[in-house]
Amino acid sequence: MEFLNSILVKPFSDMFAAPDFLIQVLWEGLVAGVLYALIALGFVLIYKSSRIFNFAQGIMVVFAALTLVGLHEKGVPALLAVPMTLGVMFLLAVAIERVVLRPLVNQPDIILFMATIGITLFLVGFGELIFGGENKVMITEQLHIPTGSFEFEPFGGFVSIEQKDVTAVIGAVLLVGGLILFLNRSKMGRAIRALGDDHQAALSVGISLSTIWVLVWFIAGVIALATGIVWGARAGVSFALEVIAFKALPVLMLGGLESVLGAIVGGIAIGVLEKLFEIYWGQPLLGGNTETWFAFVFALIVLLFRPQGLFGERIIERV
Amino acid sequence: MKTFLKKTLLPAALLVGTVLSVPAIAAEDAINVTNLSYRTGPFAATGTPLMNGQRDYMLMLNERDGGVNGVKLNYDECETGYNTEKGAECYEKTKATSIVTQPWSTGITLQVLPKSNVDKVPILAPGYGFSPMTDGKVFQWAFNPPATYWDGASMILKAISDGNVENLKGKKIVLLHLDAPYGKEPIPLIQAYADKYGFTFLPIPVGVKEMQNQSAQWLQIRRERPDFVLMWGWGAMNVGAVTEAVKTKFPMDKFVGIWWSGHDGDMKSVGEAGKGYRSLSWSLPDSNSQVMQDIKKYVVDAGKSQIGEGEFDWVFYQRGVLISMFTVEGIKAAQEHFGTKVVNPEQLRWGLENLKLDEAKLASIGMSGMIGPFSTACNNHAGHAGAWMMQWDGGKFAKVSDLLSADQDMIAPLVEAEAKKYAEANAPWPVNEECK
Repeated sequence: MEFLNSILVKPFSDMFAAPDFLIQVLWEGLVAGVLYALIALGFVLIYKSSRIFNFAQGIMVVFAALTLVGLHEKGVPALLAVPMTLGVMFLLAVAIERVVLRPLVNQPDIILFMATIGITLFLVGFGELIFGGENKVMITEQLHIPTGSFEFEPFGGFVSIEQKDVTAVIGAVLLVGGLILFLNRSKMGRAIRALGDDHQAALSVGISLSTIWVLVWFIAGVIALATGIVWGARAGVSFALEVIAFKALPVLMLGGLESVLGAIVGGIAIGVLEKLFEIYWGQPLLGGNTETWFAFVFALIVLLFRPQGLFGERIIERV
Repeated sequence: MKTFLKKTLLPAALLVGTVLSVPAIAAEDAINVTNLSYRTGPFAATGTPLMNGQRDYMLMLNERDGGVNGVKLNYDECETGYNTEKGAECYEKTKATSIVTQPWSTGITLQVLPKSNVDKVPILAPGYGFSPMTDGKVFQWAFNPPATYWDGASMILKAISDGNVENLKGKKIVLLHLDAPYGKEPIPLIQAYADKYGFTFLPIPVGVKEMQNQSAQWLQIRRERPDFVLMWGWGAMNVGAVTEAVKTKFPMDKFVGIWWSGHDGDMKSVGEAGKGYRSLSWSLPDSNSQVMQDIKKYVVDAGKSQIGEGEFDWVFYQRGVLISMFTVEGIKAAQEHFGTKVVNPEQLRWGLENLKLDEAKLASIGMSGMIGPFSTACNNHAGHAGAWMMQWDGGKFAKVSDLLSADQDMIAPLVEAEAKKYAEANAPWPVNEECK
């Protein structure tokens, strides 16, 4: 009876007993969720257009953030360093398309996936060579990202909301909104979607595979830079940012690999639910650190009922 | 065809063989010291300055003195990325050539520990690894000078209780730790203290993927309202934790880290906001010491170092220098004892077991005041040197305590029990019966 009480009653009574704390938990979950969604989007875009699961998305986040900070350290003003970093990410996209992807056209998916592991290893070594392994400070203030906090006292309690987290959420929403508009309303966006639907058909109507690949890898680079700035502002810029990409895997399982909407909804759902579970069930009952597995278990449960994910396409193949 | 083989290929092969064998003969006057390093991956920020310090000390000795008593030191690295599997691979790859194994991770140390009795290569894990390794009777090939994590935990508890652990009665202490063997290492000792002195102890793990987003852990800390938070963090976890502590408005002077959580490079990210944060350290940086000035002259100014801007003054860089000193002093002791220049791993084991680093010795090698004096013995592979409490002043760490010492009366029974348990679990486990 006590066990059932600790699972079914106590967590909810704790939520009602300290609503300010619940608000803080929900906010932290929302921020984490938006950031997970951002990382997942990088994967989705590339998968949508080329059926490649981009293992290098994590290291691209590191590379973009290190380039930005590195350029600033060399004396480039912060606001100029951003477009210059975007230029570097564009060159990286071109190089990946020319050197890695183009020679592997028509190869099985697994070969392309392995190629992205190769890109990861290259960028780890190359990045370490150029920038070193030390932790660097994100140029938050130079980018005019506010660093204070909003403090409220709802229900006689205390809630603190970091201004940089608010900026991150607003920035992510704008980026995602812009991306959806681009994919749905622009010619290039439609070309990306067409390529995702059917390579052969898209090629037959004159869509250039190499142009689209460069474009999506560049957009993934833009997302990587945004992710790197946001996460780097929270805990510094180092190769540790790479592991954050793994947080996107359950988001992709949940939302579906091809769905932009799935990445957003999946990211936010996982961010909020894993935080609630950790605080009200994980820490009191399981000793904490449930965030390392909760999202995967949650995604697996969803997959039992919807194997294609919440928003993934159901693939029917004739045999 | 046979004539061609005999007349052309065979002499060519012999010539190539002869040429290649020349460095092998020259290598007789060198000792290979391979480090299982991690300059890449999530923990690179911690690993890089430590590896740079180790490398530069050995380079300096080669440049200044021609090595150790005329024997050059071949410093080399095998990159593990702080990954246990890669570490085990590096160990297998280097055990035949390196005179010592420096695993650079508690996880890798635990992985290679059972092999040490068979391969007979000493494991040197300075200030990390499995704390009971200090029991040299059981762990004949493992060394963790100058202090174990249990020494560190004991000293931190002493420091936060103003020298009397009884003052902690009724308090609540959180241990924020990396969810890895390293982070879990102090738990048994702190729990023993909590049971004896009546304080509440709550370990809060941080997964590797959560290092940079510790909001859940700090929400728990906010809910629990502990009197002190201790940290066993590594790499990016340190930055993440201090950032969240600032955000949560946790009083910084109640937040204390072990010696791997006191890295200038990490604290730079929080700067002034981290003012008041304390970290225990068994090493004190002193850029004006003789040894550091020699490194500057022979390595840094000569363009042979890999350090970044400002790194020369960092705690971790200079700790790396001290760590290489342990190996070098072990080599010197073995050279003298066995009357040979090129010592083998077995002889180095003896050297590491007979380190005598008193004030006079430290002064003679230009390291006065950079580390507390200590010596090792067959039943004491750690040395149990003291440590200082350092405090972040917004720009650098500064010493804020005298040399602290651990309570061995509290630690020794646990060491004996855990060492015995390990030996029984890994039976048959050879024990040094000659060591009293």
